[in-house]
Amino acid sequence: MLVTWRYRPRNSLMSRFDPRARWIFSLAFLFAATMFWDARFLAFYFFIGFAWYFSGGASFRDTKRGWLLVGVLLTMMIVVNTIITGGGAGGVVPEGGTLVWPEGIPLPFADTVWHFGLTWERLWFAICQILRIGGISAVFLIIPFTMDPRVYGVTFRGLGLPDRFAYSMELAFRYVPTLARDFGTTVDAQRARGYEVERVKGGLVRQILRLAPLIVPVTMNSILMGEDVTNAMDLRCFGQRPRTWLYELKYRWQDYALIVFSLLILVGGIAMKYGFQIGNFWVPDFWLHLVGS
Amino acid sequence: MKKSIWKFGTREVVYSAIGAALYAVLAVSTNFLQIPSAGNVSVRPAVAIPMFFGIVFGPIVGFIAGFLGNIISDLIAGYGFWFWWDLGNGLMGFIPGLIAASLVSYKDWKSILKAELFVILGVLVGMGVAAISEMWVSGADINTVIFGNFVPAVIPNLINGLILVPILMIAYDAIAKRSGR
Repeated sequence: MLVTWRYRPRNSLMSRFDPRARWIFSLAFLFAATMFWDARFLAFYFFIGFAWYFSGGASFRDTKRGWLLVGVLLTMMIVVNTIITGGGAGGVVPEGGTLVWPEGIPLPFADTVWHFGLTWERLWFAICQILRIGGISAVFLIIPFTMDPRVYGVTFRGLGLPDRFAYSMELAFRYVPTLARDFGTTVDAQRARGYEVERVKGGLVRQILRLAPLIVPVTMNSILMGEDVTNAMDLRCFGQRPRTWLYELKYRWQDYALIVFSLLILVGGIAMKYGFQIGNFWVPDFWLHLVGS
Repeated sequence: MKKSIWKFGTREVVYSAIGAALYAVLAVSTNFLQIPSAGNVSVRPAVAIPMFFGIVFGPIVGFIAGFLGNIISDLIAGYGFWFWWDLGNGLMGFIPGLIAASLVSYKDWKSILKAELFVILGVLVGMGVAAISEMWVSGADINTVIFGNFVPAVIPNLINGLILVPILMIAYDAIAKRSGR
């Protein structure tokens, strides 16, 4: 079984930033963007999010799987939540509003009309959802394509995670190819005994039960391997003093600039939302004039 | 000596890493499984791994196995980084791990029953937290959260956990004595 990381080195603007500064930016962006339902603020975050995304240098072909997932979730949310059920859109859109079909929709083959409660305000809310989820997705979707898996441990250590947790993270990335190889060996061994991987069919319970001959041996083998690794690490006095890391991270001027910018969008967002009480759901006049109400 | 479920020594460091890597590898390699007549929803039997690692090695190991494992599997699959769903997966390993200190045998029916109850609780809380966070992030209403996120995530995870965790516990009981710890 071949497991490959989505990351590959790209000579991009984003790659010039320290991974710690990039995580600080991503998290500050998430918290700032989720404070607002005002399209003017969301458009700003949307623009920032996509500028950040394009600075990563990944092509659409690279990221299309992630965008497909985002597209499915977004469509489901907008069609089900905002357009069909209405549902008060999480309490954001006020009750009432201007109906899209005030006279109702005449039904074909029936002498009646269907009173569909969709309002222009809810449609505007759908645009806000696209801006908000699109911006957040752009910032977080690009991470696997631009962040080197070898620096996750040292990055989170640098962000304040205790040594042991950071090392656990480092070790997990290191184990992925080993366990993928073990899984491949187990699949081959079970095939030699007549197990047909491709024929895992039937109901849900049956499918899961049929996977036990693959999952159990790989899990038990890895637990036994873990005992050897634990003993080896204990013998080398793991955890007795702070560890050193193979890769060293150093902040440069552009990292400080990114961190300051991250703090500005977060603190500025908090001040706007909770200090000046602006940024709540807002429908522009032109939107309602557009429909002649 | 009484076991502490909050200890995070060398053994826990190693098993957190193994649990996370195993979860990621199994999640990616079983992506071909789909719920019958519900396209686009993968079964992901790998969710049993953080639950099982939690039960055997404690809540911190279970949490890291679920949280980090979900991050790594999303990194491999190219789905991006979704913190609130990673957190939900972490809780699915954390909550069953709360009974780690109380288990002596892994194959007697009382232990298995207890584990199953905490698996149910873990799935409900973990997926509940992840689904509710969609209200904050995406502005979804409670109905969409329940029927669009919570229920489709809970049902396959519950079935996977309830079937595979006892099988893994019984298999582990046989090798536990070999570890000498």
